[in-house]
Amino acid sequence: MKSFLPVLAALTVLAVLQLVLGSSEYFVYLASLVGVNVVLAVSLNVINGMTGQFSIGHAGFMAVGAYVAGTTSLLLKDDQLSFLPPAMSDQLFLLLALLLGGAAAGAFGFLVGLPSLRLRGDYLAIVTLGFGEIIRVVIQNSDGLSKSLAALPGLAPVGRFVGQFGGALGVSGVPQRSTFFMVWFWVFVLVLLARRLSDSSHGRWLKAIREDEVAAEAMGVDTTSYKVRAFVVSSFFAGIAGGLFAHFVPIINPGSFTFVKSMEVVVMIVAGGLGSTTGAIVAAVFLTLLPEGLRSLFLKLGGGDASLAQKVDQVRMPIYGMLLVVIMLTRSQGLFGTHEAWDLWARRKRAGAKA
Amino acid sequence: MSAPLLEARSVSIRFGGLKALSAFSLTISRGDLKGLIGPNGAGKTTAFNVLTGVYEPTEGEVLVGGERVNGKRPFQINRLGVARTFQNIRLFKQLTALDNVRIAVLPETRRWFDAARVQALKRGGAAQRALGAALDATDNYRDWWRAFLRTPGFLREEAQVTARAEELLSVMGLSHRKDELASSLPYGEQRRLEMARALGTRPKVLLLDEPAAGMNTREKADLMVLIRALRDRFDVGILVIEHDMKLVMGICEHLTVLDHGETIASGDPAVVRKDAKVIEAYLGEAPAHVA
Repeated sequence: MKSFLPVLAALTVLAVLQLVLGSSEYFVYLASLVGVNVVLAVSLNVINGMTGQFSIGHAGFMAVGAYVAGTTSLLLKDDQLSFLPPAMSDQLFLLLALLLGGAAAGAFGFLVGLPSLRLRGDYLAIVTLGFGEIIRVVIQNSDGLSKSLAALPGLAPVGRFVGQFGGALGVSGVPQRSTFFMVWFWVFVLVLLARRLSDSSHGRWLKAIREDEVAAEAMGVDTTSYKVRAFVVSSFFAGIAGGLFAHFVPIINPGSFTFVKSMEVVVMIVAGGLGSTTGAIVAAVFLTLLPEGLRSLFLKLGGGDASLAQKVDQVRMPIYGMLLVVIMLTRSQGLFGTHEAWDLWARRKRAGAKA
Repeated sequence: MSAPLLEARSVSIRFGGLKALSAFSLTISRGDLKGLIGPNGAGKTTAFNVLTGVYEPTEGEVLVGGERVNGKRPFQINRLGVARTFQNIRLFKQLTALDNVRIAVLPETRRWFDAARVQALKRGGAAQRALGAALDATDNYRDWWRAFLRTPGFLREEAQVTARAEELLSVMGLSHRKDELASSLPYGEQRRLEMARALGTRPKVLLLDEPAAGMNTREKADLMVLIRALRDRFDVGILVIEHDMKLVMGICEHLTVLDHGETIASGDPAVVRKDAKVIEAYLGEAPAHVA
């Protein structure tokens, strides 16, 4: 029972925040963006940080989740569970769409995980990068794909589904059902899971693979199976993040899931410290809010002139780059190394018990 | 007499044109303490790698408990009861000593679906294979969800794992180091930690690759006493690679000597020591070669 206490506490806090701040559109949008990035960073950290497999195609999984969840919601937009209040029914449908998106992304994670059995380091990175780009390009050309699929026997419904992707134009009109509560509920769930994973035999086996694959194998760790599992779990959550994203931005198009997006997530976890969930969270929050902060700063500098503020998006990546260089020079392990905030807490408690 | 725990039957390994090991035979039974010696590059570590599944034999076969394991992956062979240490210490450096050992200890999780049955399904037709894979995946991911939800059963198993790991650390005299990173331990302790880790997998056979490398004479002597004690306490068969002949003579009850991949002598240490070929390999007194 004790393990459910943090869940209850967090749900209460989130519900209160939702009630107090849920009506401020800007806050909800920003908080959602932060939340999605936190989910992406924490989930990528499972592959790159814990398992030590360098994957740089996370935007691809996010895209799969976004398109599958978004299209599902779009198609089911007018359906209601009549026995529930509309808002609640909407949230249930959202949950369903998210889970579908997550599952689809997880399936793709399995596919990408397979080459990871044979590839290491740079080679794996190139494959995952390529995968992310393939997903994006396929979606960009989804019209042709949907026609081809529709022509195949038995795949007509899949073809129709893909037909909704809208090619380079993207999907618009996805019901904006995401709420602050929903996004941060997933953030909380994922962070809790990442923490519990890290502190279990399964997490230790992932870390063993990171530390020394040969030794891990010699100690009875099925390294191939565990690498694939890391990919599946991680991409499932990237899919959830994508699904959430699809439900609070007005339009999703392939441009949202480029290589730049993947790199953004990589920068977050490297800056935060590979292998540290705390680091991933802190860096994701900071790097998401940074452009917003810069935007208001530029707006002030420009004396209310919006054109200067718009340039922020163009200088964002150089700033990330410089930031990363500075972090790597001063703290090559990233902000947190492999440490976790809760480990410090536990250590203090232990020290207190001894004294 | 039952089948030996580990057996190599005239195993050969070829890397391209190089025969790294030829017609290597060896058996390890319960309670054995055997030595594998030879000069540098003789193929000792190659022999270990074949026995533990890192390399697949080109010829011959390796049996664990009577079961042929050619082509099985190292982790599978480990699960059958063969554990090893590494010549150049391969600890999980950035993890604590306790975690290093905990990784090796397998939690006693009961699976929903009988493993043997799932394996049988996987050998069947396409539909059966798919079903087998699905059942396997269900069980694998169920395990993760137990960890995510911290079910009472999961917590109990984890506590057992921790208790077992702590016990092993204390046997190896490393209890005071349990929260320290493996990389921060002094050299001798790292060697002992590697042994504790290998023992964590509950092996029936323990393969030690130059456990005394880099130690001084005094430490070596202590280590040899420890190895003998481990055999008695954990009831395992042990095979030690060592390059210092004097040392293995002291504790091993049987020696196999390798040189250039060939087994040049095998048997009682006292006899092996007097073998002309062994002396030649070690001292290089080989007028024929020189000439």
